Amino acid sequence: MAKNVLTDEQLVAAVRSSNSELYSEIIKRYQEKLSHYLKKFIRDNDELEDVLQSVFIKAYKNLNSFNIHKKFSSWIYRIAHNEAINYLKKNYKYGLSLDEWEYDVIDEKLDFSKDLDRELTRERINQALASIKPKYQEPLVLFFFEQKTYEEISEILHLPINTVGTLIARGKQNLKKFLDQEKYG
Amino acid sequence: MDNKQLESKVMERIKSGQVKLRSRYIFLAEKLGLGSVFVLNVLFAVLFFSLMLFYLRASDNLFYLSFGSLGLFAFLESFPYLLVVSLIIFILVAGLIIKKSDISYQKPFGYLALGLLAFILLSGTVLTFTSIAEKIQARSVGFAPMEKIFRPFGNNDLREGNRGVAGRVIEVGARYVLIQTPQSILKLNLVDSFSNPPEVGQFVVVVGEMINNEFNAQMIRQVNESEMQMIRNSVHRRFGPLDSETLEKGRMIKACFDDCPRLKLPPKDCKEKCLESQSQF
Repeated sequence: MAKNVLTDEQLVAAVRSSNSELYSEIIKRYQEKLSHYLKKFIRDNDELEDVLQSVFIKAYKNLNSFNIHKKFSSWIYRIAHNEAINYLKKNYKYGLSLDEWEYDVIDEKLDFSKDLDRELTRERINQALASIKPKYQEPLVLFFFEQKTYEEISEILHLPINTVGTLIARGKQNLKKFLDQEKYG
Repeated sequence: MDNKQLESKVMERIKSGQVKLRSRYIFLAEKLGLGSVFVLNVLFAVLFFSLMLFYLRASDNLFYLSFGSLGLFAFLESFPYLLVVSLIIFILVAGLIIKKSDISYQKPFGYLALGLLAFILLSGTVLTFTSIAEKIQARSVGFAPMEKIFRPFGNNDLREGNRGVAGRVIEVGARYVLIQTPQSILKLNLVDSFSNPPEVGQFVVVVGEMINNEFNAQMIRQVNESEMQMIRNSVHRRFGPLDSETLEKGRMIKACFDDCPRLKLPPKDCKEKCLESQSQF
């Protein structure tokens, strides 16, 4: 069977049963996604690459601890999340950096910049995201920019699903409040 | 960042054997180890809660509260702190293991912690109705390794306090009462004359103050020995049933105590001398 038709979980099972070559397929599938996610927290490209490499190495080492009946993507995102947190703790570089299209996502969800200058909006969104607590920031990033479901976020952040819903709702409120304050002075 | 480069870097380390899969048995052992520690913690918490209830029910501790404010210090003095602290530690460790486990995030930790606490309290209460706690207390005086473990929780809290004591009356004099406590024979000096003095063979709980190894009793209360099982068992174990021989021993010890001022023995030495010599009587 061609490796690109295998599911993530089937690939993991194959890697575990001594076909380590297939791990390259897992790297191909997740490199872009995890790099995109980690970019939110790590701005420096070299550091990002180091962290990403350590995510794939940790994931490989601990592949036998993965429960094949669960979702692999949530598992590897959890490892990436933990690595990002460790990196931030070590480097004290809290704050978020967004891609171009991600400003539009925020804008669309919060309906904020109808009557404002685009550049100004971006700056304010950056400030707002950086200003909210990490406990709201993390689920918001996964929900808005990684398109993860509540269930997946629950598995990645190890939080109850209801709590994820609450944190996202409160995070949105905080974001909107911050942006409204900025808008109306 | 070059995608190919990262992939080849990681794969190179895997192929060269620098990075290896951790064996599934290590993860299994970790899970089993953590599971066992959790189960052991919960079992010990249940057992210790049961021991605590047994102690409160079968020792002199709660009786001191019936003396009002006079008995408060005696109550605090004889409270089973070691049991309670151990119980709290077992519960905290079990809670920590739950918090660190994979299941904890699926349900709010508060519910899980509440469930764990309810299980421990309920099971511990049920266990109190069996004879396990009593057996452990009885065995805590033995010397087998398992018996030694429970020794600090069994009889240590039955030591004579400075503000309250309990034991079996072996002699009643004009201004004194001689009692057998789980630790020794103690002379109670009666501060007031009591309208209803205790009788020989009765168990009593006393509040007052220990001065120079003699206890100045302010209040004495007679207690049914079945209500103070731990004290009764310990006294029986140490002194045997109350017969003429035991009473004679008591009298000899009392005479020994009375002789101390004449010999100018300090109170501590007096007590040691009199109690050591009891085996010779």
